[in-house]
Amino acid sequence: MRIARTLVPAVLAVALTACGGGGGSSTSSADTTPSEPTESSTEEAVPTRGDADLVIWTDALKIDAVKTVADTFAEQNGISVEVQAVSSDLQTNFVTANTAGNGPDVVVGAHDWIGNLVANGAIEPLQLTPDQLSGYSEKAVQATTYEGQLYGVPYGIEALALYRNTEVVPEEPANLTEAIDAGKQAVQAGEVESALNLPVGENGDAYHMQPVLTSMGGYLFAYDEASGYDASDLGVGEPGSVEAARKVAQLAKERVLRTSISGDNSIALFTEGKAAFLISGPWALGDIKASGIDYAIQPIPGFAGEEPAEPFMGAQAFMVASGAENAAFAQEFVTVGVNNEEAMQALYEGATLPPAMTSVQDGLQDEDIALFAEAANQAAPMPALPEMAAVWEPLGKAYAAIVGGANPEKTMRDAGRTIESAIQGG
Amino acid sequence: MSTPTSYPQDLAPEESVDEPDTTGGAGRTTGPPPRGLKGRRWWSEVGWRHVVGVVACLWALFPVAYIVSAAFNPLGTVVSTSLIPRSFSLGNFEELFSSPSVPFGRWALNTLVVCTAVVLVQILFSAFAAYAFSRFRFRGRRGGLLALLLIQMFPQFLAAVALFTLFTDFGEVVPAIGLNTLAGYVLVLSGGALGQVWLIKGFFDSVPRSLDEAAMMDGASHVQTFFRIILPLVRPILAVSGLLVFVATIAEFLLASIFLTETSQKTLATGLYGLIDGDRSNNLGVFAAGALLTAIPVILLFLFLQRYIVGGITAGGVKE
Amino acid sequence: MALATPTGSTRPLPLLVKVLGLGTAVGVAAALTPTLLLQDQWFFLVGLWVIVALLVATYATGRALPAKYLLPGTLLLTLFVVVPIVMTVQTSFTNYGDGTRTSKEETVAQIVGSSVRQTPDAPRYNLTVGTTGSTTDGPFTFFLVDPETEAAFAGTPEGLEELDPDAVTLEGGFVRAADGYEILTGVQLNDAGPALQDFTVPTDDGTAIRQLGISQAFEGTTTLQYDEAADTITDTETGTVYTVQQQGDREYFVSPDGERVSDQSWTANVGFRNYVEILTDSRISSDFLRIFAWTVAFATLSVVTTFGLGLLLAVTLNDARLRGQKVYRALLIMPYAIPGFISLLLWASFYNRDFGLINDVTGLDVNWLGDATMAKVAVVITNLWMGFPYMFLVCTGALQAIPGDLQEAARLDGASGWDGFRRITFPLLLVTVAPLLVATFAFNFNNYNAIALLTEGGPYSPDNPTAGGTDILISYTIRLAFGAGGAQIGFASAVSVLLFVITGVIAALQFRATRALEDVN
Repeated sequence: MRIARTLVPAVLAVALTACGGGGGSSTSSADTTPSEPTESSTEEAVPTRGDADLVIWTDALKIDAVKTVADTFAEQNGISVEVQAVSSDLQTNFVTANTAGNGPDVVVGAHDWIGNLVANGAIEPLQLTPDQLSGYSEKAVQATTYEGQLYGVPYGIEALALYRNTEVVPEEPANLTEAIDAGKQAVQAGEVESALNLPVGENGDAYHMQPVLTSMGGYLFAYDEASGYDASDLGVGEPGSVEAARKVAQLAKERVLRTSISGDNSIALFTEGKAAFLISGPWALGDIKASGIDYAIQPIPGFAGEEPAEPFMGAQAFMVASGAENAAFAQEFVTVGVNNEEAMQALYEGATLPPAMTSVQDGLQDEDIALFAEAANQAAPMPALPEMAAVWEPLGKAYAAIVGGANPEKTMRDAGRTIESAIQGG
Repeated sequence: MSTPTSYPQDLAPEESVDEPDTTGGAGRTTGPPPRGLKGRRWWSEVGWRHVVGVVACLWALFPVAYIVSAAFNPLGTVVSTSLIPRSFSLGNFEELFSSPSVPFGRWALNTLVVCTAVVLVQILFSAFAAYAFSRFRFRGRRGGLLALLLIQMFPQFLAAVALFTLFTDFGEVVPAIGLNTLAGYVLVLSGGALGQVWLIKGFFDSVPRSLDEAAMMDGASHVQTFFRIILPLVRPILAVSGLLVFVATIAEFLLASIFLTETSQKTLATGLYGLIDGDRSNNLGVFAAGALLTAIPVILLFLFLQRYIVGGITAGGVKE
Repeated sequence: MALATPTGSTRPLPLLVKVLGLGTAVGVAAALTPTLLLQDQWFFLVGLWVIVALLVATYATGRALPAKYLLPGTLLLTLFVVVPIVMTVQTSFTNYGDGTRTSKEETVAQIVGSSVRQTPDAPRYNLTVGTTGSTTDGPFTFFLVDPETEAAFAGTPEGLEELDPDAVTLEGGFVRAADGYEILTGVQLNDAGPALQDFTVPTDDGTAIRQLGISQAFEGTTTLQYDEAADTITDTETGTVYTVQQQGDREYFVSPDGERVSDQSWTANVGFRNYVEILTDSRISSDFLRIFAWTVAFATLSVVTTFGLGLLLAVTLNDARLRGQKVYRALLIMPYAIPGFISLLLWASFYNRDFGLINDVTGLDVNWLGDATMAKVAVVITNLWMGFPYMFLVCTGALQAIPGDLQEAARLDGASGWDGFRRITFPLLLVTVAPLLVATFAFNFNNYNAIALLTEGGPYSPDNPTAGGTDILISYTIRLAFGAGGAQIGFASAVSVLLFVITGVIAALQFRATRALEDVN
């Protein structure tokens, strides 16, 4: 009977990831392989929650980078800092703990959580001077600003780009159509098994499909530079998205898009040399470099004769918990301790994410990272609206169904209706 | 005394000298027929069991082989891993023990502490309750037994929020059993203290009542009867349920990930999950290495407990 | 009551154990009482003493023998399983979830507090805090330095006052000492947080200076104001008045134009609304029968296949003459020793159509997870692999309870091996394992993981992204609860209560059918 316990484990992980922010937040938080141990992460003093003067929650992947900055801050202020990695769903666990009065002082997470976190009253607005804000890339500030208030100090930005196996395709393609054609030729020649690794999976992946959607004239929510996203103007089911659906169906027929390529294997297939192109983010860089494959990166171009592709841009940010026991230190850490060039440089080196601070961006030695920074600066910030929770799943499944052979027009319009009614009902 | 048996002497196992190769081509006996059992009789009584056993092991082990292969694969990705390892490296294991944010040894120690405590509590208390349900007749007995089963059918992961709130409050009163303490975590897992009652009770029922009645006649108290007579008799099922609890606890993950956020307080399951959280395909190697190391204590414990499991009740009864 | 003999309390050792144990319990309870009183934890206080009273009543007297054996486990079960279930039932009558996690007071305070906006051109001051009283309770004074002009100010709730630079010690742009004041350190400042939370220094133009961290202060203004009497929030810049309005199952502050001041709502009781919603939701009712049928089939198949295989292997290997018996047994429990979540993720990758192990090795091109029927097969196969070692272990253990001579006797009577098994071994074994089979059925009925980690409920038909081909009731309803519109924990709680009832009824019926309870005596 106690197998009940054995199998309950990952339940919440999945149940609550599904709820948390859908595909978006989980994809965008997957950025690096476990980073190299940094020198300053010395033996921790094992203080408990009550003892430390500042408690920071992050995910396991970024803990070393965050620790570096936190330790510096602790030293400067003569306090103790505890950085904790929360496994499974950080966002949900943070909200739960914060509500119960047992949460951290600072949480490190993706900007698209902000809408949900604000609706839960879980984070505090931040006050940075216009001068300080101008030190960050414009897109990063847009991303972490919600309803006119800043809620996070961004340190990393990420967006999808196009990786190319230069051994298979030496020439940089001018547009996505060219890239796909070159990939298909390589498949026919038996050089690779897949023309373009764009993760679909059995249940779809709306995040990775965004460049295709936008290049064909589709959008999720209407965007305006001044007022941000408009939750009342849904683009799924509109003509642009139907165009995109037709494109997806066509690419599936040509076996470019396949449900057998998913987030679980798309990067690995590319590093094994089994794919000509890969659409992925900076989180894939570590593995690709380690594999020794010859590659090149470029911002994702649009299809020939269509609009430019605009993937989502995500920002990783430091946020102050509303239930912070040490509110003063939390504010100090986020607005002063993190908000300077040295800290941002250290975070960049620890997390190898394209930096959000422009002066750090300017000093980038790594061309790949510089390219990703450029791609992120061209992309559109992922909507932080709580309404996005209603979008990811139905849209992803619609893509998967279309790849699986379903009628593209009808499926996309159905998805639009499903999302619309979910937003109304919620 | 590894396997005290009650089989007649002429059927004792020691005689079968030649047995089929258990790892490969089971199904052919090429050597001379075994001395104890000859030819067809050996086949019909013992030999076929090897065939079933080998096939079953292949079925049980091919995914495990894949995990082993991934653990030793330096690339450690889903795609580059096959059933038969193509390359060999200990890099994944090294990473487990060298990265300061992955204190694998500490996690293993925590897991051991938690598992031991939970197994002891659950087995002891379950055995207590099973004894009461088996030997006494009291009002609410059937209702209690049924309630026990039904309560444990509650889809528990939804109570996680409630448990979190409960232990937040506990921690304010007694910090030693609050969140982020192994003691608090053990306590919450002890909610399953009666999880093994049904299994153990079934076994108690098959122990002749005359045994404990005789002991009582001799002047033993019911406590003495329980500990000295009954408990040793049911060792096989205690061993089985102990193993079940151990396995369940070592893999427990949901509550651990909410209760134990501090790196130094984590258990293996929640610590390891952090490794693949968000990047399943590429950290597979390190994760598989961790999963293998996690499986080892389970197997060791099983090997250790086997002699009790196989000991058998009659043998035990005769011995004591 | 054949066992109503005197208890062992007259013997010295048990008596000592008893006294020590009960004494400890009473002592701990007594030690905790002041803390609990101080923190107003009445619920815990009562609970604690009830437990102590139960312990004393049970173990200090010679009566109620069964209770002595049942109490320890029952207490733990009650505390950590039953209480959370009761709490879940309570939650099922609320709208608790994303956006409604706070009380109304907290919500209002947070909405108003979050509306602080800094004055565009005002300086950002360097801040130190001084006190003439205690460092935790004040009274406090803000010492502010404009970093541009190096002008120093003292700020109190009465207002801002420029200081004579000679009256204070300036160092690095901060006031480090002032006559008659103790300057707080960073740690003291942090500790004084609660007292300083509402400390603002009003300025002439209607804004106020507030603390920011431990070294800065900024000038800003709160743009929203709450009117408690009218229960409205007013935007002081635009003059818009937001009133409380019901939208769906929650209330918001909404402007006359229908615009919410914030997406943050608050926890409220909604009565049976969650239950009504489940029973009347057209999506649920249209898919219910199909999903229910598959749920039952899945649970049944899981029990039958794992028990069948587990029993077969247990019986086969339960022969002392078998060489390598121990090795076989140890190898067969391997699937059980691997943590469940990695097994499921692994199997999911095995089923990949183009790159998965299974199609690779067998040379097939089966669309395992993309075809509803094959996905069901895949789920059952995987669950068989994960579950059979449990049954194998249980059966192996239970077989030990069946005396070998019974089977031997049957054999001597001329019964064949199969006959002996069918007539003697199997019925005896069933006595022990039948209740576990029922429990396993119930477990699989709600085996969320097996579905969620393997197929995520999929594949989905193009027109219905909510109900997938392998969805069981729990995976389906949990998706409804946690999918669109964030986590609806109240709704999810109602779902789990209903599933609990359904599972319980089915289990009770199975008990009746198998007569498991009647047989066990």
